[in-house]
Amino acid sequence: MKKLITFTVNEMGYEVAVAPNKTLTQVLRDDLDLLGTKEGCGVGDCGACTVIMDGKPVNSCLVLAVQADGSTIKTIEGVARGDSLHPVQETFVEMGAIQCGFCTPGMVLSATSLLEKNPHPTEHEVREALSGNLCRCTGYQKIVEAVQEASRRMKG
Amino acid sequence: MLLLPKFDYEEPKSLPEALAMLSELKGNGKVIAGGTDLLVNMKKGTVKPAFLVSLRKVEGLREIGGENGGLAIGSHATVSEIADSDRVGSMFPVLARSASCLGSPLIRNRATIGGNIVTARPAADLPPALIVLGAYVELKGKDANRTIPLDGFFTGPGTSVIESGEVLTRIILPSAPPFTGGDYIKIGHRAALEIAIAAAASRLTLDKPDGVIVDARVVLSAVAPTAIHAASAEKALIGQRPSEELFAKAAALAEGDCSPITDMRGGAEYRRDMVNTLVKRTLLKAFNDARDMKGGNA
Ligand SMILES: Cc1cc2nc3c(=O)[nH]c(=O)nc-3n(C[C@H](O)[C@H](O)[C@H](O)COP(=O)(O)OP(=O)(O)OC[C@H]3O[C@@H](n4cnc5c(N)ncnc54)[C@H](O)[C@@H]3O)c2cc1C
Ligand code: FES
Ligand code: FES
Repeated sequence: MKKLITFTVNEMGYEVAVAPNKTLTQVLRDDLDLLGTKEGCGVGDCGACTVIMDGKPVNSCLVLAVQADGSTIKTIEGVARGDSLHPVQETFVEMGAIQCGFCTPGMVLSATSLLEKNPHPTEHEVREALSGNLCRCTGYQKIVEAVQEASRRMKG
Repeated sequence: MLLLPKFDYEEPKSLPEALAMLSELKGNGKVIAGGTDLLVNMKKGTVKPAFLVSLRKVEGLREIGGENGGLAIGSHATVSEIADSDRVGSMFPVLARSASCLGSPLIRNRATIGGNIVTARPAADLPPALIVLGAYVELKGKDANRTIPLDGFFTGPGTSVIESGEVLTRIILPSAPPFTGGDYIKIGHRAALEIAIAAAASRLTLDKPDGVIVDARVVLSAVAPTAIHAASAEKALIGQRPSEELFAKAAALAEGDCSPITDMRGGAEYRRDMVNTLVKRTLLKAFNDARDMKGGNA
């Protein structure tokens, strides 16, 4: 039987009737049309499905939509302010931290979440914070550099 | 895309309500906590519960609080809450260390301590640390409650003494004696998102800073069907004066205490070798911490 859930996604309130076996990834993509959240492995290994749930980055492929009832979600669509990109998004674009782009939404969300908690992370802390997000293209180096550069820009 | 089979889902608001629900469902209901284990298994089709009972709205299951000088941790506390807790970090650093090497930051934000115990994986990260700390688990059923040592809780890979109508509510850690230290080390192919190839947790208690070992616990993981004590290593340590030679002797004995298998994560021989190294290293760190600490600390 479907359940009615209420939650906030990117600062907008939603009420959706969902089947208990739908994951948060599915509901964001299929019911809310937020296609920025990707599904790769579906079992918690790749991080393509990363969203921020009540302030913490999680694998939305392993969250039931019914478990998100009452929660506050941020997806990649909620990171930029209008037309102005978040510093992490800017540095990803400028510094070649994006190739195919499949991992990018998850990488950006894990990175922004790190910088909120720890504005001046060491390289090791950046790598640790991104360790649940796999990238098949970039070799990670440019992603790490982009996060560090974003941290420097956010300082000033 | 991996899809989940159909099931029903409820979120009871209290423990009695959850227990009544599980009892009515008999074997058809399953508890869901963080879902990081259960949902993967359901997607892969290895378990097919008709009904999931979520504990997320049950009050009081997430608290980390003091109890008789020790600590009581609600089963629904997440692994990241445990890894980041100052209280856990200062009282039981071994537990904080084991929590911080589970899965990835994303998994740790959902995974709960209760789920990590009940799932009973041979390579789970928290049980070895919890066993050397002498943890108890509080199990509540509709008609009866029991508090039992975690040591002895596991009966095989994926199995334990918990009954289908029971909920694990709290994990209780007794206060550590003075001059106690411990360590947990896990090895995998990479630092994150890796189930252990082998892991060891050790805890030593000395009678005084430069004294003899009065209590020794060495627990190995991923090298037997459940987390096990390296019983002969423990025996060899007790009553002795700590030294590198003693730790090397205990480490060699620990190799004989385990029964590793060869699988895609590693060979049996390699695992045995690693047990030796991990036991030696965890004992050295445990000893250094025990000697340097005035109060109880593990
Ligand atoms: C990508 C990935 C990486 C992982 N890496 C690791 C790792 O490195 N180390 C490791 O140890 N584990 C790892 N895991 C496994 C898993 O994340 C942990 O075991 C986690 O702690 C399970 O907790 P949970 O709350 O998600 O459990 P759930 O999936 O909700 O539940 C697991 C089982 O326990 C039962 N259960 C849960 N809570 C209770 C309760 N309070 N009372 C009674 N029964 C209960 C459920 O019915 C179910 O059978 C990983 C998983 C994934 C997907
Ligand atoms: S799709 Fe969720 S972790 Fe891969
Ligand atoms: S850019 Fe292609 S996976 Fe990361």
